[in-house]
Amino acid sequence: MVNRKLVKFLSLRYKILALIFIVLAGGLVLLPKYEKQEGISPEDLLSNSISPERYITTDELADRIINQDPTLLLIDVRDENNYKKYSLTDAINIPLKKILDEDSEPYLNQDEYDVVLFSNDNFYSDQAWILCTRLGYKNLHVLKGGINTWYNTIINPMKPTENMASNQFDLYAFRKAASMYFGVAYPDKIKKKPTIIKRVSTSKAAPKKVIVKKKKKKMPVEGGC
Amino acid sequence: MGPLIPNELIPFEWSSIIAIIIGICFGFILEASGFSSSRKLAGVFYGYDFAVFKVFFTAAVVSLIGLFYMDYLGYVDMSMLYIHPTYTWAAIIGGAIMGIGFVTGGFCPGTTLTAVAIGKIDAIVNVLGIMFGVFVFSELFTFFEPIYNGYFQGNITLVDTLGINPYWFVFIMTLVAIIMFAVSDVIRKRVKKVFY
Repeated sequence: MVNRKLVKFLSLRYKILALIFIVLAGGLVLLPKYEKQEGISPEDLLSNSISPERYITTDELADRIINQDPTLLLIDVRDENNYKKYSLTDAINIPLKKILDEDSEPYLNQDEYDVVLFSNDNFYSDQAWILCTRLGYKNLHVLKGGINTWYNTIINPMKPTENMASNQFDLYAFRKAASMYFGVAYPDKIKKKPTIIKRVSTSKAAPKKVIVKKKKKKMPVEGGC
Repeated sequence: MGPLIPNELIPFEWSSIIAIIIGICFGFILEASGFSSSRKLAGVFYGYDFAVFKVFFTAAVVSLIGLFYMDYLGYVDMSMLYIHPTYTWAAIIGGAIMGIGFVTGGFCPGTTLTAVAIGKIDAIVNVLGIMFGVFVFSELFTFFEPIYNGYFQGNITLVDTLGINPYWFVFIMTLVAIIMFAVSDVIRKRVKKVFY
């Protein structure tokens, strides 16, 4: 009879449950181990790195520096020697090798500043950007072309030739004005107001002091018996 | 994905409501499975009924295995779970006092309340005793504070302390549970049966 079979089966119920326990726990031991994915998913990282949104042009950056945008945080990812030789106004030096250090994290992993990473070109700053973006840090930007482009466009802008479009002349006017802000002196300006040339380049000023807020670790919900 | 509330998939404000719903279910199941009887709880210490021990140990092992599987599959981030901080001597002394209260009163704090809900007089007395204990403790808190806040070990787990592979720990724990169940069955068969 079916009933008798069922009774016989159910008499073994605790042993069966114990066996299920052992199989499940043993399964945990036998499962292939893998390293856990840290940070954002590979798909997100790929779509972020393909997108050119991270780039900020030198003109845009100059505009924001001149307007004294308080949300701007410049980070120089070159090594210390290069940083000491020349860097942008108020930039902070975090060499690429130290980008994942614990001390650098508060500067990069925050949501108050727009961080602009730069190096000589945008090669190393792109690397720094990838490393940080993978960890899920936000508001990171890369200076397109780095300091080289900064020099060629802002500090030493090329004069447009006569057959160029009018917006090129506007751009040149802006860049020239910007370069004067950053301490470049032009001979024709000197003649008129010789006092202005005495202006010291602001690039040697002490790096901007950023009040670093340590991110609060999310407290897990308290529980108890 | 999980845990749901720290990852803000469920708003934090819901936590109390969820706690109440889980609490009601927990209380109902405690009472429905007869845990509001102090005889059933005291049975663990006298050896005639191990239901309480088995149920709670099974619950612990089931959640242990389940959590590790969910962590493995990426549904729950184990590192974000709350780990109760360890205060060595406070835990030992508190555990001993609670054990004495457990065996003399025949209730665990949870089951006392379910027993009060069905109107057991001994449970009401027990709850009054708990309240009195809380009162005495609060009044003498300055005296107890060095033990209460001292010997702090941090939010540690056995896996951290022993430094073993967590998966092996789960396996060993499961084996220990099953052996304990078998042993408790043997003890139960040897002890004189009590009808209640």
